[in-house]
Amino acid sequence: MNSLWSIVFKKELKDLFRDRKTVIMSVILPLVLFPLLFGLIGKGVKSTTEKVTKEVKIAYIGGESSFKKFLSSVPNIKIVETNDYQEQVKKGSLYLAVVVEEDFDTKLAQDEMSDIKIIYDSESTNSQTALDVVEDIISTYKDEVVKRRLEARGIDVSILKPIDVKNEPINKEKSSEGALILTMLLPLYLIIYAITGPMAAAVDLGAGEKERGTLEPLLTTQASRMQLLFGKLFAITVMGIIGTTSSLTGLYIAFKYSMDFMGDVGLNISIGSLLLIGITAIILNMIFAAVELAVSIYARSFKEAQTYLSPVTIIGMIVAYGTYMMDVKSASTIMFNIPLANISLIIKEFVIGVYNPVHIAITFVWAFVYIIAAILFARYMFSKEEVVFRT
Amino acid sequence: MIEVIELTKKFKEVTAVDNISFKVDAGEIVGLLGENGAGKTTTLRMISTMLKPTSGTVKVCGLDLLKEPDKVRKKIGILFGGEVGLYDRLTARENIKYFADLGGLSSEEANKNIELLAEMLDMKEYIDRRVGKFSRGMKQKVAIARAIVHNPDVMLFDEPTIGLDISSSAIVQDFILDCKKKGRAIIFSSHSMREVEKLCDRVVIIHKGRLVYDGRIEDLRRDYNGEDLEKVFLRLVGDKNE
Ligand SMILES: Nc1ncnc2c1ncn2[C@@H]1O[C@H](COP(=O)(O)OP(=O)(O)O)[C@@H](O)[C@H]1O
Ligand SMILES: [Mg+2]
Repeated sequence: MNSLWSIVFKKELKDLFRDRKTVIMSVILPLVLFPLLFGLIGKGVKSTTEKVTKEVKIAYIGGESSFKKFLSSVPNIKIVETNDYQEQVKKGSLYLAVVVEEDFDTKLAQDEMSDIKIIYDSESTNSQTALDVVEDIISTYKDEVVKRRLEARGIDVSILKPIDVKNEPINKEKSSEGALILTMLLPLYLIIYAITGPMAAAVDLGAGEKERGTLEPLLTTQASRMQLLFGKLFAITVMGIIGTTSSLTGLYIAFKYSMDFMGDVGLNISIGSLLLIGITAIILNMIFAAVELAVSIYARSFKEAQTYLSPVTIIGMIVAYGTYMMDVKSASTIMFNIPLANISLIIKEFVIGVYNPVHIAITFVWAFVYIIAAILFARYMFSKEEVVFRT
Repeated sequence: MIEVIELTKKFKEVTAVDNISFKVDAGEIVGLLGENGAGKTTTLRMISTMLKPTSGTVKVCGLDLLKEPDKVRKKIGILFGGEVGLYDRLTARENIKYFADLGGLSSEEANKNIELLAEMLDMKEYIDRRVGKFSRGMKQKVAIARAIVHNPDVMLFDEPTIGLDISSSAIVQDFILDCKKKGRAIIFSSHSMREVEKLCDRVVIIHKGRLVYDGRIEDLRRDYNGEDLEKVFLRLVGDKNE
């Protein structure tokens, strides 16, 4: 015979999956949100940058000079003759204006310093992009002048480079850069998803049951409060895990899709790490599922549950952001006793392939304690007559 | 079959049920009559083990509620008025099946009972549709089926016709009479003497948590010389108001 909690569990999952709102909010939205967002932003950034760099429309102010010749020889630079360049840059019909001194060439020939002024619009991205392009050109031109001057004196250019710095990371794998980003983002995302993922289900299965008036008949069945609680808790946890999975999948698709403008961050995480991170994510979801269910049972209605749950969300997010920049390498063992921070840290360790048994033990024991505490809290709520029959 | 013994419930300062005792036999319908706030719901919630008595107890089929609440629950079916409390996204069958499963019925038993109930309550046509869009009367039938699917010996009805139209009320009343025929012990709470008069063999009148009358409807009629019982009820509870 089916045990009663599993009957509750199956029914709740079936019920939740029939709710279009829950499915959209916790499965579909997270899956498509990031790819859409990244796709749009990426496309937008790319197309405007392309538009500007294809034809950099600038004004050149000043007499004929070797620099003007150099500038016009750059294929994507288009020099527009105009006098009201200030106005035009402001309007955006020109991206920027280059103002060169009248005696530019004379000064150069005499080994003196010449000024070039660039008039641009600091509030326009187009102008900024053009500025980057023009600054690059000037820099190249400058190097050439320096080279010529040195050669005239019979000196090798390498004199300007007394030190050649080579960075050599201690980590042998190429992935360290990607891993760094991931140690910051993954704990943050996993915690936030564990908070938001189970939320809709928790509200529905706790306060929702009260509001629909189904709690009272349910409590007269053979199922004990603990069996009801566990069935609900597991169903909510499953929804949370599905939410996390689809959020991460969405994020992964988004990153893959937009690699060309983000740059390849070359990740490589071992299967072992992935597995441990997965287990940690499940535990995280379970913790928040239990807390949210307890709060939801306490609440009188959907609305009240949502109100009570917003501080839970905010506190969770604050802790998540607090550990965002935390460096795992310098974290002491004591820090693994801080709620949530420890989970954040352990995920960071897993990402970089550190498996410290003491840290894992401390964190998982604490996680277990949190889950038990939250379940006991939920059971307490469920057994209190004032709470169950609050109207 | 049901034996309420000196049952008392206090909520902080309010004594909702105050030292009430009465009995209900198999095949008997007892009306629990009282005005709003008299303590009817609280009494029925204690009998169904949802609330713990402050003192006193109830024996259901000889089982003490305080000692064996799980077994007591198995014997009891409840139908509460107001919101029917169904899962809108589940079909009628799924709603009933859920409670059958939680009542510890085997799958064959549950399915057999559901078929019988669908027949009896004339629900075949819509039993596999989601209840969200059902009319009030249809929902009421599902709630009835859910309350009885585990074949309880005792049925508790808490103002089950409240807010129902005449035809839906009739469904409920027919169902109560059918329970009587099957030899169940029934408590039916109401604030209307008319309804109690029509259905019940005996009436237990409570006011402000106290029992003010316990007797057969016929005896009540005889004692008050065929007076309008609604008036008798008002006088009985009115007396205590002073
Ligand atoms: N959970 C509760 N907490 C506090 N007081 C309650 C609670 N439930 C009922 N009461 C009080 O107990 C009294 C009896 O209520 P109830 O049993 O619902 O009456 P009835 O069902 O006859 O209308 C009322 O005064 C009501 O306010
Ligand atoms: Mg009531």
